[in-house]
Amino acid sequence: MWAQLLSAILGVWLMAAPAVLGYGGIAAAVDRSIGPLAAGFACVAIWGATRGVRWLNLPLGIALLVIPWGFGYPSIATANSLAAGLLLGALAFVRGTVAERFGGGWSSLFGSGTPNHEAADG
Amino acid sequence: MDAVEAPYAVPPGWSYNPSSWGQRLPIVGLALVGFGIATYLALYQWRVFGSVWEPFFGEGSRVILNSSVSRVLPLPDAALGAFGYLLDAATGVVGGRARWRTMPWIVIIFGLAVGPLGAVSILLVIFQPVLFDAWCTLCLASAIVSLIMIGPAMDELLAALQVLKRARRDRRSTWRAFWGLEDHQLPPVTAQARHRPGRWHHTENVAGFAED
Repeated sequence: MWAQLLSAILGVWLMAAPAVLGYGGIAAAVDRSIGPLAAGFACVAIWGATRGVRWLNLPLGIALLVIPWGFGYPSIATANSLAAGLLLGALAFVRGTVAERFGGGWSSLFGSGTPNHEAADG
Repeated sequence: MDAVEAPYAVPPGWSYNPSSWGQRLPIVGLALVGFGIATYLALYQWRVFGSVWEPFFGEGSRVILNSSVSRVLPLPDAALGAFGYLLDAATGVVGGRARWRTMPWIVIIFGLAVGPLGAVSILLVIFQPVLFDAWCTLCLASAIVSLIMIGPAMDELLAALQVLKRARRDRRSTWRAFWGLEDHQLPPVTAQARHRPGRWHHTENVAGFAED
């Protein structure tokens, strides 16, 4: 859960970074687009039943690592993007503890194996 | 989780009941907060109020709330948001403590109402700085509210979808399961029931034991 909270804070930071660090243009537009997405995914992933949503922040982290190289970012924006991307991508791997059980979760809705939630069915 | 949980209110394979009031009422409360914020913003967009509260971003709220995106649809966007929050609150309240099983249809409508509202919120938050170079404090607050609601609402949706999955697997009608017409988790009159007649004498009533 701390990983998701950290990811959410990181998303909010990306929204504020262009104003705080003083850069604009494409770099600002990218950060102001990825920021709300990252914060939103992290916010949903805080809860146990939707913890899997954290993986959506992995492609966002990769995007932050790749995009600066093609669009003439100012160096401060590049540094910020690389640091944030690395952190965001790494945090996606941190599942944390989920104390509750959800009858096999979302994957139990698909496939043909006996889902966990059926084993307990009377 | 409710201390007096009816045994069959916890979905099979679950450690808690996602439809308990303890789970649902906080979401309904958030929806009402969101409804209040969105209604206030809609009233400004309709010019019932001449100005709008903006503590941090100067002209930001006025720019955002009068932007082209806010008037894409026949209604101002905040009015649609208010309707969405009201739908969230209403579908969050309907049904008893086992409604994931007794009324899957309302749980699914609830999930469909909560999810997309949050998704649209993220989109609008992106539009604020990228298209209009402005921020709107109360719009951001509304977005946060709608995002916080998604996670807690999705567990109940999962439990309801698992009911449909079980029906399909058993070659029963998913349509009837969707409307809660066939409740295959109702216990037969068991030894446990005979020992606790006060809780189980409505066994023939689909929702009876969930309403005490």
